[in-house]
Amino acid sequence: MYRGREGQWAFVLHRLSGVALALFLLLHVVDISLVMLGPDGPFDVFLVFYHNWPFRVGLLMVIAGVVYHGLNGLRIIIMDFTSWGVRYQKQLWYGVLGLTVAIGIPVLWKIVPEIVAAI
Amino acid sequence: MATASAQGRAAKATRPRTFREARAMASSNAELGWGVFMRISGLLLVPLAFGHLWANNMAFNAGEIDFAYVAGRLSQPTVKIYDTFLLLFAMLHGVNGLRYSIEDYVKRPGRRFAWKMVLFTVAGIIFVAGVMTLWAFSFEEMGDAVRALGTQ
Repeated sequence: MYRGREGQWAFVLHRLSGVALALFLLLHVVDISLVMLGPDGPFDVFLVFYHNWPFRVGLLMVIAGVVYHGLNGLRIIIMDFTSWGVRYQKQLWYGVLGLTVAIGIPVLWKIVPEIVAAI
Repeated sequence: MATASAQGRAAKATRPRTFREARAMASSNAELGWGVFMRISGLLLVPLAFGHLWANNMAFNAGEIDFAYVAGRLSQPTVKIYDTFLLLFAMLHGVNGLRYSIEDYVKRPGRRFAWKMVLFTVAGIIFVAGVMTLWAFSFEEMGDAVRALGTQ
C-alpha cells in the first residue's frame, strides 16, 4: 500500500467487500441448498448458527457490504463511461459513503432491536 | 475549457476512452469481455441484490426465517425466476471477482492455477446445488406439511 487517497480507499473497500460477499454467497447457496433435504434435514442446524446474535451482526456487515459494493460499482461504471465521472470520482466516492450511511441508519433501526430482542 | 481538456489528456494516460483503446489495454479479448461483463452484471445485481435483501431482512424479520418460510418462497414461480437470475449473475460476478484477487495476489503460476481450479470446482458444485434447489424440488408439499404442524 502506498500513500492512499480517496481512489485507493475506494478500491481497497471494493476489493475487501467483494471478496467477503463472494465467500458469503458460496456459504449462503450451500445453506439454502440444505432445504432440498427436507424439514428434518440439516437445515435446522444452519438456522441455529444463523440466528445467533454474533452471526446476525455479521449479516448486518453483509448488508453494509452489498450497499457499499453496489453503489461504488455504479461509481466505477460512471467513471468508465463519462469523463466527468473521472473528474469527480472523489466527490462521487464521498457520495457513495454518504448514501451507504444514509441507507444503513434505517436498516440498523429496524434490525438491531430484532437482534437484541432475540438474545 | 482548457483545464477540462488538460484533465482529459491526463486521464487518457490511465483510462481508455474508446472501445478500441480498452481492447489495446486489456491483456486479451476474453479479459476485456469479462471487464464488460462485470459492469453489465453489476448494474443488474444492484436492483436484484437490494430487492433480495429488502424482502428477507426489511419486509421480514430474518431471525424468524425457518424451513417453512424458505419452502414457501421457493414454491413461488416468481421467486424461482428472480433467484435464478440473482444466483447466475452473483455467481459469475463473484467468482470472477475472486479470480481477479487470485491473479493479483498469488504470484507463483503453479499455485495461481491450482487456486483457480479449486475455486472453479467448488463454485461449480455449489452453483449446480443452487439450481437444483430452485428447480428440481417441489416445496409445496413440504412447506404445507410444516405449516400444518405449526398450526396444530
